[in-house]
Formats: sequence, C-alpha cells, structure tokens
Amino acid sequence: MIVHNDRPEDLETPMKYFDTWVTPVDAFFVRQHIPRPAPIDPAAHRVQISGMVSKAAQLSLADLEKLPQHTVSATLECTGNGRAFYSPKVPGIQWGRGAVGNAEWTGPRLGDVLKMAGLDDGAKHVEIDGADSGLAQTPDFLRSMPMEKAMHPATLLALKMNGESPQIHGFPVRLIVPGWDGTSWVKWVTRLTAKVEMSSGFFMNPGYRYPKYARPPGAPAIPAELEVIEGMPVKSTLTAPEDGAKTAIGPLMIRGFAWAGENAIERVDVSTDGGARWQAAELSTQKLPFAWRLFTLKWTPAAPGYYTVMSRATDTAGRVQPIVPAWNPSGYLWNGIDRVGITVEKA
Amino acid sequence: MMRFLLVVTIAAASWGADQATLEKGQKEEQRACLPCHSLRLIHSQRLSRAAWGRELDKMAGWGTKYSDRDALLEYLVATYGDDKPVTPPAISEDGRKTKQ
Repeated sequence: MIVHNDRPEDLETPMKYFDTWVTPVDAFFVRQHIPRPAPIDPAAHRVQISGMVSKAAQLSLADLEKLPQHTVSATLECTGNGRAFYSPKVPGIQWGRGAVGNAEWTGPRLGDVLKMAGLDDGAKHVEIDGADSGLAQTPDFLRSMPMEKAMHPATLLALKMNGESPQIHGFPVRLIVPGWDGTSWVKWVTRLTAKVEMSSGFFMNPGYRYPKYARPPGAPAIPAELEVIEGMPVKSTLTAPEDGAKTAIGPLMIRGFAWAGENAIERVDVSTDGGARWQAAELSTQKLPFAWRLFTLKWTPAAPGYYTVMSRATDTAGRVQPIVPAWNPSGYLWNGIDRVGITVEKA
Repeated sequence: MMRFLLVVTIAAASWGADQATLEKGQKEEQRACLPCHSLRLIHSQRLSRAAWGRELDKMAGWGTKYSDRDALLEYLVATYGDDKPVTPPAISEDGRKTKQ
C-alpha cells in the first residue's frame, strides 16, 4: 500500500492491484480522520436506533442478521481521491489515483432497519455515529443523510465486505451509501438517529462541502455557497501501462476502470496521441449503477517514442469527464481525463 | 526610507528563518503534533504560508496547545512550503496494511 499516514492509517492502493472487478480486501484503500476504535467484540456490539422512531432499540449483529440480507456491488471512493493533482495545492491527504475500490457489500437495508423501528413520517434525515472518537477536541466523526437516500434499497448496513468483516474497513457494521462519496459510508456504526434537520458538526459543515459556483483556482470558499457532497462524478483511471513505463515495441493492452457515482458507465474512449484522436474501449459486461466497469483497448504503437495515453468516461446520464476539473479549496471530486506517459523502445 | 524598508523586507523573506528557529520549530512539531497523529500527514503536504497558518489555527481549535507557534510556522514554510518539491510516499510491504 502507499502509506500517506500510518497513525491514523491513510493508505492508497497501488495501481497493480486494480486488475480485478472486485478489489481484494487486503489491497482496499483506507481513510481515517481519527484513530480506529479499540477492537470490537462482535457479540457485544450494538447499534442504537433513536430519535423519531416509535420503537427505539439496541440491535445486536444477530438482530441485523435476521433481517433480509442483500448484496450490492459498489465502488467506494474517497472524496479527496486525486487531490494531489490540483494546482494550487490544497491541504489534506495528497491522494493520487488509488483511493478507490470496488467491493460486494452484504447486509440488511438501512430502510428495513428504520421501518422495523417505526420510523416517523416527519423524520427527514438520519444521523449516523461510529465507534471512533476524536483525540483532544477533534470533532467526533458524525454524518447525516437525507431520508430519501437512507430508504434507497441499495443503502445497506453492511455486515460483510467481499464475504469478510475486516475491522479496518469499518466492520462489524458499516454504512454503505452507493454512488455517494466515501465520507458518507460511516464505519463501525453504533447509532442511527432519525431527525428533522441535517446534522451539524465539522464533518458536515464546513467539512466535505463543495462550492455551488466554481471559484477561481486559489480563491477561498464562500461559506454560504458550500453544499454537502452527495453523488460522485463520472471518472476513469488507467491501470496499464503504468505511468513512466518503458516497453518494447509490439502489441500492448491498455487497461483501466471507470465509474460514475449513482449512474452506470456508458462508454470509455482512449487516446494514444495526447487527446488528438479517440477510440472506444471494450467494456466489461457489468453495466450497473454504483459499480465500476473495467475497460481494455488493444494497441500496437506504429513507431518507437514517448506516448501520452488518455482515458475519458461517459455515463448513462451523458456526463463526460472534463479536461480540467473545477479547482476547489478542499481538493474534492477530482475527475479529470486520466493520462499516463510511456516510452516505446525499438525492438 | 520606504525603498530601504522594502529592500529589508524582501531580503528577510528570501533569507527565510534562521537555523535556530527551524530547529525550535521542528521540536515544536514533535511536541505539539505527535500526540494525535504521525508526522507523515504533515510532511506529505506542500502549502503556502497562509495555508500552513490556517492549518495551525484549525489544530488549535481542536485542542493543540502551541508553545512556539511562530517557530513551527517558519519551520513548516521553510521545509514543506508550496515551492518545495514533493517527495513520493512510502510503500508498505505486500499483504500488510502498515509496518506497525
């Protein structure tokens, strides 16, 4: 893993692990704002359901396992993935291209849990807290989301990730919010509170907000014009050849993955001449909302030399990756057309 | 006089902080920052003086007590300023999340 920080752990997946549709748990990126909680005893773990419900409860894992279990394939991406590419530079973990992964998440629907607790019709948001807590006066990691997304059938209280329950990835219970930024996917869930208003607190405001109107690069945010980030943009990442690689002249396979928040990927175009000409890549068969698609393109360079290879994704809603993503003061949502440079050598 | 002051200001800015201040700043970094997180989090960033200042203020709001904020800021700007080259992050061994 690429170690951006080791206490708490902030770990990025190297490109070589991205050749499978499902990212292995051991290679999946890790992002933590505050230290991991002490080891959790699954038998003793409880999720408190409170607020605007008629049957407040303390649910055990056994209670959650009794509800119908659903599996959703979804790509999880850190809100700041690609922050290192913004200029001028902004504070925060300097993620490159690997704070993203695709997994199969299994557990009960959050909506089923809330309905079982007798959700009040007047509740418009759900607040979610995890077992982690901040050092000194660092704010607690607390998030909320609108009821419409909470009741979506793909929003889960996951008990499994690729069939495992790794604590470093937020288990025994992790919130799965397909298509939304990683910050929404609260780890080590301990409490769900139904309420009228969205939550306050640093990780809702000003944290993880994005300018409603784009600002010039380097300009400070206008606090009143910041909005909570929800669905993620359309994006692609090249995994092969690796940036900076040298290869003997001959047939090559260009590979990568593309994803689009709550939408599915419609097409990916690849250029091998710095963006002058583009051709459609082959896409893997899974055309699902929330989950990435792998793409490939066979290419035989005509001559030796240095080549700039690029990828550009389009989603089912017609969104296309930009050449220049909008700079923003926190460095969120980088989705520029991806590029790698390779040198093709004489045989 | 104005021209003289301007020259002095520019010269001070280009010389940067003296070695003793930088050493004090580095010690302050260990004292003030290490209790909550490792230093990679800081050393991987390249920020302007204004941006480092905002980070120090944010951390003060989260409970950090500085004994020499000025020296710490000078050290950060001199060592991890936005004009300094980026160093690539470390890579952990395969199959291990970190080396801890």
